[in-house]
Amino acid sequence: MSYQPKDIAGKLAAGFLKNPLTAVLGVTLLLLGFISLQVMPREEDPQIAISGGAVIAPMPGATPKEIENVIVNPLERRIREIKGVDHVYGIAMHNVGIVNVVYKIGERREDANLKLYDKVMQNMDQLPKGVMQPLVKPFDIDIDIPILTFAFYPIKGQKADYEKLFPIARRLQQRINAVKNVAKTTLKGAHKPQFNVEVDLHKLTAYNLSLGQIMKAIQSIAVNVPDVKGRTKDKKLMIFGVKNAIDDVDDVKNIIVAQYMGSPIYLRDVAKVQRGIDFQNFKTAYVGFKKEKGDNLSPIKEQITLTVSKLAGTNAVFVANDVLKVMDEYKDKLRKAGFGYIVTRDYGKRANDAVNELVHHLVITIIIIAVMLVFALGFKESVIVTFTVPAILAITLFIAYLSGQTINRITLFAFLLSLGLLVDAAIIVIENIHRHMHSHESAHKPMDELLIEATDEIGAPTNIATLAIIMTMVPMLFVGGMMGSFMKPIPLNVPVALIASLIVAYIFTPYLSLKLLKRDKHHEGGEK
Amino acid sequence: MMKKFENFVYAILDKKSNKTLVILLTLIALAGSVMMLPTKIVKAKMLPGKSDNTFSVYIDTPTGSSKEQTYKVGKCVVEHLKNEPEILNMEIYAGMGIPLDYAGLVKGAGMKNSENVAEIAVNLTDKHEREETSYMMVSRLRPVIKKACEPLVKGTTVKFVEQPAGPPTLASIVVEVTGHNIDKIRELSKEVASILKKTPKLVDVDIMMDDIYKKYELIPDKEKIARSGLSVEQVNNIIYLAFEGMAVAHKNSANEPDQIQIFEILDPNTKRFENRSKQALEEKLNELNLMNMKGMMVPVSEVVHVKEVDSQPSIMQKDLHRMINVTAETDEESQVYPLLEARDMMIKHFKKLGYKVEKEPGMSTYMFDLHLTDPKTGEKYLLRWDGEMKVTLDTFRDLGGAFIGALVLIFLLLVIYYKSYTLSGIVLAGSFLSIIGVIVGHWVADLVTRDTFFLTATSLIGFIALMGISSRNSLLLIDFAKSLMEAHGMPKRRAIAVASATRAKPIMLTAIAIILGSALLASDPIFGGLGVALISGTVAAVFVSLIFVPVLMDNAKAMDLDDDNPIHHDKKNISITK
Repeated sequence: MSYQPKDIAGKLAAGFLKNPLTAVLGVTLLLLGFISLQVMPREEDPQIAISGGAVIAPMPGATPKEIENVIVNPLERRIREIKGVDHVYGIAMHNVGIVNVVYKIGERREDANLKLYDKVMQNMDQLPKGVMQPLVKPFDIDIDIPILTFAFYPIKGQKADYEKLFPIARRLQQRINAVKNVAKTTLKGAHKPQFNVEVDLHKLTAYNLSLGQIMKAIQSIAVNVPDVKGRTKDKKLMIFGVKNAIDDVDDVKNIIVAQYMGSPIYLRDVAKVQRGIDFQNFKTAYVGFKKEKGDNLSPIKEQITLTVSKLAGTNAVFVANDVLKVMDEYKDKLRKAGFGYIVTRDYGKRANDAVNELVHHLVITIIIIAVMLVFALGFKESVIVTFTVPAILAITLFIAYLSGQTINRITLFAFLLSLGLLVDAAIIVIENIHRHMHSHESAHKPMDELLIEATDEIGAPTNIATLAIIMTMVPMLFVGGMMGSFMKPIPLNVPVALIASLIVAYIFTPYLSLKLLKRDKHHEGGEK
Repeated sequence: MMKKFENFVYAILDKKSNKTLVILLTLIALAGSVMMLPTKIVKAKMLPGKSDNTFSVYIDTPTGSSKEQTYKVGKCVVEHLKNEPEILNMEIYAGMGIPLDYAGLVKGAGMKNSENVAEIAVNLTDKHEREETSYMMVSRLRPVIKKACEPLVKGTTVKFVEQPAGPPTLASIVVEVTGHNIDKIRELSKEVASILKKTPKLVDVDIMMDDIYKKYELIPDKEKIARSGLSVEQVNNIIYLAFEGMAVAHKNSANEPDQIQIFEILDPNTKRFENRSKQALEEKLNELNLMNMKGMMVPVSEVVHVKEVDSQPSIMQKDLHRMINVTAETDEESQVYPLLEARDMMIKHFKKLGYKVEKEPGMSTYMFDLHLTDPKTGEKYLLRWDGEMKVTLDTFRDLGGAFIGALVLIFLLLVIYYKSYTLSGIVLAGSFLSIIGVIVGHWVADLVTRDTFFLTATSLIGFIALMGISSRNSLLLIDFAKSLMEAHGMPKRRAIAVASATRAKPIMLTAIAIILGSALLASDPIFGGLGVALISGTVAAVFVSLIFVPVLMDNAKAMDLDDDNPIHHDKKNISITK
């Protein structure tokens, strides 16, 4: 071979042109891209690393101004000592002081949490008297934002029988929490069963009793003690224990609270005792829904919401599907018990829809460009250029997967944005090949040498032009704040895609041209 | 065709007056398009509204309201939304926030825990199967529901919360009223809120502070308590036990998922007050007895005085300063314009009230802040704009920085390549001019779409990316013209004309690829700006590189062939084009 390539473009073309592994490489790249697309965690929005936390210090009986002076102000001063804190918000309420700490965007969450905890613990000795142990609660978006929520409602009537519904919801919660990659599950609007002792004020007066006496009477009965060990004469252990005297609500009713004129006064005499729900809990959830679009809204029913969140970095789509499958198994059981459920949030489906829609857009765009190229360059040339697009995207996806990114709207927009730029390198190469094939000067050159030369020739200017576009993306990496992290997939992926487009254009365009393009034996002098 | 274009370019280059005309027209177009920004023909916003399958309604009844009152408002909202065909289901969460979402994350939905709050999650049909976007729906329903449901409990605010398109913020408009005198900043924040309410296009104005309500304080008479053989703690406990109730014991059970509490409280029928008056409270306390150490019964009313007082509101601080947030949302509008309007009103209003009003000096992302000084006391207050405005300013500042960074990097790259400042300058000027297309494109997009099409952060990203694309056009043009002059000894003017004619096809080809590639982007609500910027910017870039850049090239001495300015490639390298 007489032509010596000078640019990286020609060298790549020469290296892969006759190599039998080039086809294998192409197929491998496409396969890697496809696998990445399937296994990469999908989400709707990219993750924004917001770190921060709240310090909650209760002090019963204190007024807001007192709380401000003894809890919030000193705590805030200490927290200002931490490096990387963006804002400190203090809230002084009745009985409790809360200090919210927001770190600068990009602060590592683990470090941020540790620093906050550390600072609070270091100053525990300065805690004012009467303040209860402060609670440090870090924010955790992944775990805190549920991807799925279900509402369990009674099929008949509007009131939920929490007595029956709560145990079912709790059991389901346990079952769902066992699903792979499920992180936190909560029940919202749940009312737990409890024994309610509603003391009649008038009867208290009549029997000359006080509330405190009743409390003591109940407490003295409802005790749990561990088993005790005794030893027998022949050195054996004898184990026995006192059973909790309260087994059901009747045991509570029959507690003797006092003696009156020699006869016992039972709790049931002065109070209404029943098994009920925790009515002191004012949090209640309701639901109204339509069976089908266009139906009338059902009456508003009481409900319990089960929320499910996933572990960070896992695929919302997979987790949601697994959970929905488990829920499906329980559908009949629930119905038999008289309850139904509806899915009131499904981020897994939303993420999947968003990703699929964009992938769909990508495919349409590729087809449109391919059709345009058929008219501009010819059919075979268009096929070659069109092949390079999935190859480039496959490389970019694979690299994104390796670097721990997720597939989200912004990543796919980065792809769509770069799509118009990606085909350029291949277009330029194929155009030059085309020109050489039809020119008189290279009429007698062997095909492979012609391809290498044509590729090599345009190497330098194409590299510079691509570099110019990459240059525009680099400063975008340094955009700060939430918007910066939100947009980050663009400056991360577009340059990778552009570099991949160069490499693919230099390797595969000449290779495919050798396989597909036939030299015109009686060419009419090529281009006009 | 190609020959015609070549002659056309040559004709321009050949006459000085034609060249001046091209430059003049370009400058006019540039000035005209840039002027569309301050004249609000093209409006700027960080991110446009995003149509979603859900929105939520936040209900805040005044502090001290009961759960029944709050639920009444919530039920009213649901009743009014019931007949909306696009609503699939609604969940009311009384006394707490809805399961946390992006919007609720910064709005403190997770912290809600009182009887006077409720949130409603409203789930809609899929956005693809529905004509009306969620933000248009919210905009339509908001006035109706506020009018119907807010009067149910006096002082209630009903807010509509949409999922943010980008990063979540507390609200579109947040005014932090900062100062040390807590009563004064409460007053000021009410003034601020009333101004925001008067500003057109602003809705859901809310002051984030507790309302002051009447409450009764029981003051223990220490002497009487001691003499009756009681303790203050005992009094506190009994009152709490009687009216709030207490879990006095627990029971574990193998058959129950949770511990069962034994909860003691007064019978609701006997603990109910006649009405909300001091007298009713005293009567009830008279019925409630305490047992002293000697086993004698002492009525609670004997050992405490009842006093009517105002409740003490919570105190908020930010960065160690006391402050109160006043928030507002925009109704299908960028927050920038109502903000400026409200700010002007505030300056006038507070001047009229006798405050000394100063603007924030210098340029920063806090540049819209106002400093107030009370002339009587000399106390200083700060009205700081936060929320989406701050994020917008920060983002535009950073993207502007990124843009300048991109300019510098490209310039340096070109200087290395051409070894000439003039040529690099031409390429840069050419690529900057694509801004004409970007702005005009947004104007056209605004004309053809139903709702306002904003110039957004994504448009800026598109513009930055365009810089690279159009500089490549100019770059290849200069390269080709130089090669022609050197290899074929063509005169400069003819070489430039031939170069722009031959480069026209590949430039068009790549431009069409970009336009088609971005066509689907343009229909997206968030990245529409990027798509439009790319499409219209590319069109402008084609004209600029084929007509305007040749004019500059012709004027540039650096294009001349002489010994100081050797062409850097070998002669064979007439590349890229046919």
